[in-house]
This record gives sequence, C-alpha cells and structure tokens, in this order.
Amino acid sequence: MTPITPATPASKSSEIVPQLKNVISVVNLGCKLKLMSIALKAWNIEYNPKRCPAAIMRLREPRTTALIFSSGKMVCTGAKSEQLSRLAARKHARVLEKLGFPVKFLNFTIQNMVGSCDVKFPIRLESLFLTHQKFSSYEPELFPGLIYRMVKPRIVLLIFASGKIVFTGAGSKGFEGVKERAVIYEAFENIYPILEAFRKK
Amino acid sequence: MSSRVCRTCGGSDIDVDQARGSAVCTGCGSVLEDNIIVSEVQFVEGSGGVSSAVGQFVSADGPAKAPLIGSGFHTSVGKESRAQTLQGGKRQIQQLGSQLQLNQHCLDTAFNFFKMVVSKHLTRGRKTEHVIAACLYLVCRTEGTPHMLLDLSDLLQVNVYILGKTFLLLARELCINAPAIDPCLYIPRFAHMLEFGGKTHEVSMTALRLVQRMKRDWMHTGRRPSGLCGAALLVAARMHKFRRTVKDVISVVKVCQTTLRKRLTEFEDTPTSQLTIDEFMRVDLEQECDPPSFIAAQHKAKMQQLEQQLAQKLDDVEGQISCYKDEIETELERSRPKLSGIYAAYAKEIEPEDAKALPATPDLEPPEAEDDELRAAAQQLTQDFLCQVIQEEEGRGEAGDDSGREEGEGSQRQAAPLAAILGKLPAPVSLGLQQTFDASEASEEPGDEPMEGGDLDLDGIDDQEIDKYILNQEEVQVKTELWMKQNAEYLKEQQEKEERIKKEKEQGTYKEKPKKAKQKKEPILASTAGEAIEKMLEKKRISSKINYDVLRDLNSRGTGSGGGSSPSRPAPDPPDATTATRKRVARRRRKKASDVSRSLAATTSMIGKRVRHLISSTSKKRKTAVQEEPPTAPKRDATPEPTAEAPPEQEAEAGPALPAPPPGPEVGEEEEEEEVEEECVSALQLVGGQCRAGTPQVHSGKEDKELMYNRLID
Repeated sequence: MTPITPATPASKSSEIVPQLKNVISVVNLGCKLKLMSIALKAWNIEYNPKRCPAAIMRLREPRTTALIFSSGKMVCTGAKSEQLSRLAARKHARVLEKLGFPVKFLNFTIQNMVGSCDVKFPIRLESLFLTHQKFSSYEPELFPGLIYRMVKPRIVLLIFASGKIVFTGAGSKGFEGVKERAVIYEAFENIYPILEAFRKK
Repeated sequence: MSSRVCRTCGGSDIDVDQARGSAVCTGCGSVLEDNIIVSEVQFVEGSGGVSSAVGQFVSADGPAKAPLIGSGFHTSVGKESRAQTLQGGKRQIQQLGSQLQLNQHCLDTAFNFFKMVVSKHLTRGRKTEHVIAACLYLVCRTEGTPHMLLDLSDLLQVNVYILGKTFLLLARELCINAPAIDPCLYIPRFAHMLEFGGKTHEVSMTALRLVQRMKRDWMHTGRRPSGLCGAALLVAARMHKFRRTVKDVISVVKVCQTTLRKRLTEFEDTPTSQLTIDEFMRVDLEQECDPPSFIAAQHKAKMQQLEQQLAQKLDDVEGQISCYKDEIETELERSRPKLSGIYAAYAKEIEPEDAKALPATPDLEPPEAEDDELRAAAQQLTQDFLCQVIQEEEGRGEAGDDSGREEGEGSQRQAAPLAAILGKLPAPVSLGLQQTFDASEASEEPGDEPMEGGDLDLDGIDDQEIDKYILNQEEVQVKTELWMKQNAEYLKEQQEKEERIKKEKEQGTYKEKPKKAKQKKEPILASTAGEAIEKMLEKKRISSKINYDVLRDLNSRGTGSGGGSSPSRPAPDPPDATTATRKRVARRRRKKASDVSRSLAATTSMIGKRVRHLISSTSKKRKTAVQEEPPTAPKRDATPEPTAEAPPEQEAEAGPALPAPPPGPEVGEEEEEEEVEEECVSALQLVGGQCRAGTPQVHSGKEDKELMYNRLID
C-alpha cells in the first residue's frame, strides 16, 4: 500500500507552522453563583444583566476573558495555548473561590481553537473558487476572503489573497469545533499543495 | 357565434363585430346585440411596460372549489397553507422583480427556487422578504445580470450582510454554485447611469480595458467589484474628456469616497498608470503586480524587522555610551583633587571594584572592600531582583537562559557602584533560577494531568496576584453605588416582576412558565412496510381531510378478511340520508374492499378526482346501483360473517341517532325496501346529502363507478 500523503509534509518543506491565536474552553465550577455579589467585589468583573446574563471577568496574565454564568459554568477565551487556557481558567476559578464560593474544577474541555499562518505568496481566489466550488464560498461583495470548508479534517479555513490563512472550527451545526492543535496542522498540510497550485507565478 | 335570424327582416346574414361587441343584420341594418360579452383573452400593461394577461389560472389538480367570480381579491380563501405560501411568494417575487426590471424568465426561475426553498423548510424562522430577495439574487447571479446585492438591500432597506447570510445559506442548501462576480458585468450599467451620451460605448470599452488591466494586476481579488468599476469609469471618463467628479461616480456605484480614492491610489502604484492614453490603448504590459494586501503585509513585516534592528542598535549604542561614561568618570575621579582621611578609604574601595565589575566574571565571594552599608543594600536589591525574576519565570516557564544573559548585560550597563552589587548576581541568581525551574517543572507535570477529584489545583497560581483583583470594603461600597445607579431600570423591572408573581400566587392564577421539554423523536420500529406506513401516518398527520383510523382499518381489513369496513366515516352523514342508503353503501363498500386492494397513498390522491366524479355522475350511479342490487345478492350471502361484523361497526360509527337493524335476516327485506325507498328519496336530497358529507360519500361514489365497470367487463 503506497501512502497517499506525500513523504515530505508541506510544512516541513516550507518551514511554515500555523500558530495558535485563541483557545476557547469551558469548565463547570460545580456550584451556583450569585453574579451580583461577585460583580461588586472585584474590579475586573463587569455584569450587565440587561445585555448579557453572564458576568465578564478579565485577567491580565495570561490575558484572557471569562464568561461566568449563575449556573456555575464558565467559558474562558483569549488564551494562546491549551496549557495557558487551563491556567487561566484555574486563575478565574481561584478569584471566585477567594470571593467565598465553594468552587470545583470539573470537566475542563477545550471547545475550539483558532490558528493562523502566512504562506508568503499571493493566492488567486477566483481560480481556487472555480475548481473547488463544492467546498468553498467566495463572495467579494460580502467578505474579502474565501471560506473553505474542509471535509477531512472538519475545519473551516479563511483564505485571503495576501497569502494569510486562518483556521477555525466554529460554524457548522452538529460540529463541535477544533479540539486539538494537530487538527490545524493536518489541515495546513492538506491545503498547502492546493494553494501552491494557485500561486501567483 | 351561432347565426341567428334577424327579427325585423328575417335575413340570416348577421355581422358580428368583435371589436365593437355588436351584432348587426346586414340586410336591414338593425342592431341585434350590443355590448357582447366576448370570451377573448385581454391584456393589461403592468409596471415597466410589461403586458400580462387578465384572468386567473385555475390549476387542474388544485382544490375543486371554483374561484368565485367577482371576488377576485379573495383568491386565497380555502386553499391549503402551502399553496397560500407559494402564491404569496410568487406575488412578492413579481413585485420585487419588476422593480429590478428582470424579465419573466428570471422571475419564473426565482419562483422555482422559492418552491425548492419552501419544500426544504428553509423559510422557517426567516422573513419571507429576505428569502425572496435571496432567491432573486440567486437568479441574478446564475443568469449574469448586472444586479448587486446592494440594489436589493436598497429596495428592502435591509442590511446587506443579513441578505448575504440568507443568500449564502440558500445557495449552500440548494447546492447551487453561483459563479463569481465579474466586475466587467457592471460596467455597461454604470456607464449608462453616468450619462455619457453618444460616447457611452467608447467610454465603456475603455473602462473595460482598465478593469481587465486591474484584474491582471491582482487588484480585484477580495474587493467589491463595484469599487473597481467606479475607479475604472472615473479614469475612462477623464480620458475621454468628460468631467465626472468623484461624487458623481460614488452616487452611481454605491461605494464610499475613501474606497474610490484607495482604488485610484492602488492603480497609481501599478506601472500601467505611467503609460499615456494612446500607449495604454495599444500596449499591454507583461508584468503583473502583487495584490495590494500582499504588498502591505510585506511592508509591515519589513517595518517590524527594521524596528527590531533599530532597537538592537540602540542597545549596542547605549552599551557603548555607558562604556564611555564609565571611562570618563574614572578619568574624572583620577583628575579630581586627592581626598584625605575617610574619603580616601572610600576612593580606594571603588577602584578595585570597578576593575572587577567590568569584565563581569562571576565572583562568588563578595569583595573584601565592601562596606556594611553596601552589603545590606546589595542584599536588598538582590532579593527584589530575585523576586521579580522568579515571578517572570513562573509566568513563562522557559527561557531562563535569556534572563541570565540579560542580567549579564544589565550589569555592564549599570553605573560603577551598582555594578559591584549586580556583578555578583549572575551566579547565585542563575543557581536560584535553576532550582525554581526544577521545582516548577516538577509541579507542572502533575498539574497538566486532568483533575479527577474536581478540586481546584492551585499550582502555578500566585495568591498575591489573585488578591490584587479583589476589592476591599470601601471600594466595594463605591462600586455597589455605581452599579445600582447604572442598573436601576433593570432592578426595578425585576422587582415588579417579583411582585406580580407574588400577587398571582396569592390569587392562585400563577402560571409557571412551562419549560419546553424537548420531545425525543423515537425511531419507528416496524416489521413490514405496511406497518411502517401506518405508524408514520399515526405520528405525522399529513392532511386534515383524511380519517386515519378508517384508513388504517381499511389496510388491515382489506388484506385479511374478505369483508372490510368502509374507508369513510358514515358518522357525519347528514340525517337526510336514509338508513337503507347507508347500508347499501356499506355493502358496496365491503365488496369494494374485498375486490380491490388499495394503497393508502392512492386513496389520498383520489379524493379530488372522486369529488368531481361524484358531482357529475350522481344520478347515474344511483340507477346503476339499483340494477346491480339483485346480482349482488348471491355474493352477499356468501359473506355472512363480515356482514355481521360490518353493520355493528357501521352503527357504532354512525352513532346512536340511527336505529340499529338486525343484521342477517333483514338483508333480503332491505333489498325490497331499497327499491321502494329508492324512488321516494329525491334527487336534491341525494345530491345534497352526498355533497355535504364530502369525502365519505365520495368513496362510495368511486366504488359504485368501479363496480359498474367491473360488471361491464365481466
């Protein structure tokens, strides 16, 4: 059985590695929270019940934002890696613990990851759209980039004419999002030869 | 028109003039008829000069209710919901499409798309006008008309991105791949709107050439095509000596001034802009430029690199400057008048320290010349420095060597006295760092593993840092005041809501908001196809005009025993219809069920046909039915059991209002009675009864007809 994937992966030959820019995670703190009292006791927490039913806590280090719900669930965004996301979530929980709530740290899961990279050459989006119509959506009237929905791995790529690519998982119904960074790397391996075909000569 | 005889002269030569609508006798000239109602198709001019025929289209398989003449506005009364939706959609498409000046073919295609959308239930949760607009835009794209999404959003006063979202979703669901927009499509349209008079064509050609050049220079990728067209038209107009300002162009092209200027600037940066007008029309440069976004990105990267280099150079220069500073100071020291006494002792201390500090070799032992004060100061500074460094290291978790190197450089930078203190730092600090690294690495590994107990792991979290986030009492008070003021309205609302709930509770009328429990769709488990259909129909009610219970029974009875119950409901029978008629009908139905195996789908579809048959052949059926009675008698006897079963069932369904005749022995009597009663029942009753009952009688009608046919064939 000859392998289908090329022997030298694209990233190794071009030495481009996608960078993680954002990691979104959720965790269950295991106890009900009184958002009003939390919001009044810390300076980095804002709570606007009319606009949003969750309290928003911002941390300086690592620079993250957490949405805290009265049911005890928390969403943490803004971290640059999985470990940092976990650390940030723990710090957020620690603040709440210090405010007097019996918090736990249950079911920490990474919900989505966003990565980006630069292939350093211009890309002909119209031609890419013509050949890959089944997977791509290109509406210059609405958005300057081409939205490529890769099937395997299930990931959405935003491809721009300048050569910059954004990898993300959010958007489809029933799809959970990018859970591991290996998925992003795999997607890059798959898309790089396609992009090279539409490179500006 | 039938030729008639003239009343006055008796001549048969009558001239009928359709245009005037009059019939005139050619012999004597008397007008026989005036204002004849003609049965020709009339045309009416709609908006945009489109002529359309007057009248309604009555579909052959639609509902049987004839459209009421004279009440043309209430055409949607009585139709099914789906037909109403489609009709409403068609009307809106026509309206919107005529505003866009789309031809009928496009509108028909758009209506087809709309039908597909409705059948896929994509209209749920979306405004119909959004869906209509998206369908129309889809047609525009597939046909290649020069209509922009912006035009549609202008007409509807809706945000273009909302329309875009709907459009993208529809295109994906319907699997329609709209080709990418070519800016060349818009040029003729915009050129026409800019009113170039006779030279419109020439200006368009020039503008087209410009756009093609822009395409080759990678200016159009990812950009709105209208912006490019605007820039091209502006330049083309100037080339042909037309004075069109930026404002004129942007009002036509619908982009903003900044965008237009930007496009012009980008075009300026390309080498084509340097050609003269004649050269441009003749020559095509080979070179293709990079897209402006790519150039901008490269530019940015270069700037960043330059900044980094500058920063490095600054550091070097600073280093050099500090070296010079040190040397100057030493020179000054030397040249200063010699101090005596205590001060001489101080002077001696500084010199040997300088000599040691500059090479920056780590000295584990503090220099002997150090004073107690200096030692204390040194320790304090060391501690502070260590704390800072350790905190940084915890946050990063790596790059310990960098900090070590930085410290080394830092020591060189510092002035002479501090240099002594810092000079000894690299060694103990580096040792200390190593220890913290080992410690943090060891703690991080168990920290990375998932928490099984669910307890919050405090590794790597600095309590001091966390405490900084928490406010003290006074601050809490201040924040509370502010927050209360900000959210006063919300708090008021909440209070009112609670009061309301309390009152309702006291009154006993409190209704807790029922939380929608998600109904889990259970999969249908069935052994045969028939069973599966039954279950499916049970769960999913398709139409309100079918009696599902009877349908089910029909299917099960028809395949099993010879006799079967009727597929229709005798219960809603009006009291007009006699018992005998019903029994007759019942017997016929039984036979029908045993003779023909009917599929449920066929049943539902035949309803419409039956009604028509019924209305047209009511009287005929009755007569033929009576004739068939004697031959059916022997058959009836052959199936006594189902007979016994059926009437009680019929009666049960019919209701208590009807008398329950004994089943078996009455059969023969009924036959005689029927013949007698047949004549007594009036035609009006029969027709009225059958029509009012609607579906049930329909079935019987159909059965009669089929029975009749079978007899004929046999």
